[in-house]
Amino acid sequence: MPAAGIETGGARPAQSYWNESWERLRANRIGMTAGILIVVLAAIAVMAPLFSLVLTHYQPQTINLDQTFAKPGAAHLLGSDELGRDTLTRLIWGARVSLGVALLTVALSLSVGTTVGMVAGYYGGWIDDVLMRLVDTVLAIPAIFLFILMSILFRPNAFTLAAIIASVGWGSVARLVRGEVLSVKQRDFVVATRSIGASDSRLMVRHLLPNVLPVLIVAASLGVGQIILVEAALDFLGLGIQPPTPSWGNMLTNAQSYFFRSGWLVALPGITIFITVLASNLFGNAIRDAFDPRLKS
Amino acid sequence: MAEAATAKPLTRAWTVNDPLVSVTDLKVWFPVASGVMQRTIAHVHAVDGVDLEIEAGETLGLVGESGCGKSTLGRTIIRLVEPTAGSIKFKGDEITHVRGGRLRALRRDMAMIFQDPYASLDPRQTVGDIIGEPIDVHRLARGKERQDRIRELLRVVGMNPRYADRYPHEFSGGQRQRIGIARALAVEPTFIVCDEPISALDVSIQAQIINLLENLQSKFKLTYLFIAHDLSVVKHISNRIAVMYLGKLMEVAPAAQLYRTPRHPYTGSLLSAIPIPDPAVELRRERILLKGDVASPVNPPSGCRFRTRCPRAKEHCAEEVPPLESFGQEHLAACFYPLEG
Amino acid sequence: MTQPLLQVQDLHTVFSTKEGQVKAVDGVSFELNAGETLGIVGESGCGKSVTALSIIRLQRPGRIVGGKVMFKGQDLTRVSEDEMREIRGREIAMIFQDPMTSLNPVYRVGWQVGEPTRLHNGLDARKAFSSAVSMLGRVGIPSAASRARDYPHQFSGGMRQRAMIAMGLTTTPHVLIADEPTTALDVTIQAQILDLLRDVNRDFGTATILITHNLGVVAGMCQRLIVMYAGKIVEAGPTADVFAHPKHPYTWSLLRSIPRLDAETHEPLKPIEGLPPNLVDLPSGCAFHPRCAFRVEKCSRDVPALLRVGDTQQSACWVTQSGTELKGG
Repeated sequence: MPAAGIETGGARPAQSYWNESWERLRANRIGMTAGILIVVLAAIAVMAPLFSLVLTHYQPQTINLDQTFAKPGAAHLLGSDELGRDTLTRLIWGARVSLGVALLTVALSLSVGTTVGMVAGYYGGWIDDVLMRLVDTVLAIPAIFLFILMSILFRPNAFTLAAIIASVGWGSVARLVRGEVLSVKQRDFVVATRSIGASDSRLMVRHLLPNVLPVLIVAASLGVGQIILVEAALDFLGLGIQPPTPSWGNMLTNAQSYFFRSGWLVALPGITIFITVLASNLFGNAIRDAFDPRLKS
Repeated sequence: MAEAATAKPLTRAWTVNDPLVSVTDLKVWFPVASGVMQRTIAHVHAVDGVDLEIEAGETLGLVGESGCGKSTLGRTIIRLVEPTAGSIKFKGDEITHVRGGRLRALRRDMAMIFQDPYASLDPRQTVGDIIGEPIDVHRLARGKERQDRIRELLRVVGMNPRYADRYPHEFSGGQRQRIGIARALAVEPTFIVCDEPISALDVSIQAQIINLLENLQSKFKLTYLFIAHDLSVVKHISNRIAVMYLGKLMEVAPAAQLYRTPRHPYTGSLLSAIPIPDPAVELRRERILLKGDVASPVNPPSGCRFRTRCPRAKEHCAEEVPPLESFGQEHLAACFYPLEG
Repeated sequence: MTQPLLQVQDLHTVFSTKEGQVKAVDGVSFELNAGETLGIVGESGCGKSVTALSIIRLQRPGRIVGGKVMFKGQDLTRVSEDEMREIRGREIAMIFQDPMTSLNPVYRVGWQVGEPTRLHNGLDARKAFSSAVSMLGRVGIPSAASRARDYPHQFSGGMRQRAMIAMGLTTTPHVLIADEPTTALDVTIQAQILDLLRDVNRDFGTATILITHNLGVVAGMCQRLIVMYAGKIVEAGPTADVFAHPKHPYTWSLLRSIPRLDAETHEPLKPIEGLPPNLVDLPSGCAFHPRCAFRVEKCSRDVPALLRVGDTQQSACWVTQSGTELKGG
């Protein structure tokens, strides 16, 4: 006779949502390659001084008027610019700026946007109305106007630049989070947790946030590419990081005038930006495929 | 500094012979917004004047079809939905508008089990955390004692205590429902609202859960409000049954009596519509087929709500709302032209 | 003796999943005769829906890997996609469970109901529409002419299901497959729809395959039934006989575990112990044996075949095939 009562089925090992998603991510070759590339770039950026010392033997700001517009070769692996500064070194140090600002911007938009979106979605009512009107307003401000204004008022360094870009970006994060919260809020387990007496803050932090996180991760990884482009564009226009601090964007600012002297000055920063943004988009897609709960069967 | 556990609500002179839950003229209306400015143009009369009493230790079944308001009624009694009007009393205390600390204390005494075993458990938490959360929220136990309680709860609902480290998605629907039941029991409640607890489960599992709920009731002296649309199940598990239609009660009676001598035409047609797994019986049955569909809860019919589908409706039914009248022996029905016994 | 209308012979349909291959339909054989209503009963995952979808070749992403579906002399598993399209909707029609999503919200109901006749019978838009209106009237939709101009969201669940039935019938098919047609509906509406299906079966002579998990529905609607478990048929026979003396422990236990509305006393239910089978990791031998109150040693080793047990029934069970009666406390 079969045993009544206690069930002993289900001998599979405990697998959380995160483990499952990680495995799915690992299985995506293109995505993982892109991800590794980004990690490598980040590592290079962090170790820029080391590279300067060991690999290229140049500092990014070292001017050498004897070796202007050098082609890629033994002395300068990727050539040099109009002031004889080594392009490879500047690209490496530029990575610090681009990736650093991107990371900071993401962190800022996510924290502000999530908080606003969570509160608006959870409480609804007039709080939601007020906050969403605020978001609408922020989203309606033409970004370029804001950037120009900001860069006139402050001298942008990496931190303020990140803050400026984030000030425009947090709005869409807030909208996204609010939408997720609205749908998750309705699910039975949230009502169940309320029914046992949990407080609002407990619900928001312990239940809503972890369930909203996947969507955030996806948005963040897809947004990084965008931010790198925006930041590069700002630098290029002279609204962002100012020379002599090298960034991929401001390396392009003067490069256009010297295009016929050395096409490398345009091509190399351009290609670097392209590869980085492509890698981050591919990785972002892979993350979305792996982590997005809505794509699960 | 040790934090105090949430104390259960103090009750005045309530004894076990008084009704545990007492609902008087309860109304729950939801606004319907429309237009750019989201102005309220109408209301959904989800619960529209319900009087009900639930005795300690009994199982009151609440049946009705979609849109009748039974789920809303259950959630309002347990204060997950705000009532629009009327009063709710629990153990003699008025709880209609309690907030804050008093509401929290109430949450230790009332619990709920949900319909969808896939949506009612947080997919990001382990089973142990899900069951432990009520214990944490009310500070009922810590450390080893907490672990022991969680394990004991799992055992009580028929699951292996080692499952506490697993995640909900690793379990079947029936097992998840057991986890949900364990969570409800964790606060040590007196009263549990069961909102369609078995409708989403396979037929072969439903009986397991029904038996479990019955065993738990006698073991922990629980009172159930059992909400479902399947009258066969409700009749099996309930002492009394209340039939709802469009926000109002049509009939309330002891379970066996409701089946043998229904008074309200809606009850009659509900009973005749339920398929019975017996071909001989099915062939012989007389069906009372209703015409049309359920009317809208936004604009319910005047007088008796059921009159638009009722085969016995007369002019009077449109003019006046029939009150719940007694037909002897705890049997109430709201109908001017009830079925004969 | 007339030929059966539809003959399913040893059908096998599989799904490839991350965890392994799932044999959703694992050697299913049955017949459907003209004019009759056959019930396929089972719980979620037993393969009843996939069987129906395989008949009309809509089983993707599953693959039919064996067996035949004989219909009017043709093997439906082998005909070309074009020929299959001709048959779908015209000769074999299917109604699905969820009327909310089976109708396209952007087209008027009358237009959609008329689609099969436009496709198969070559009717022009106006004639198709009026034939749709008349069919909507026949399935009990009041003011059919004006309702046909409505959009699906203006119809209630019951009415949408009626519209689906109308759509299935416009081409007067030989076979109607109804996959859980009333599961998503309220019980009083369910009674109306089942009544309609009975009328349709009587008036049009359409043979019907009714798929459901509800034994009560089967009892009232079907002359014959088959019971499925883990992709196989475990019991088959005339409805009255199967209910009166079930020959498979699964059917037997299921009938005892359902609360009956007309039960006189409150007896505790006798549930089937254990969990539904994991289709990726089926038990050895008979898939039901871990939950079976009657199992013997052989059951965990050898898969029983579906054989005649008693005069009119078939059962795939070693125990009943060897003559044991199913009884219990």
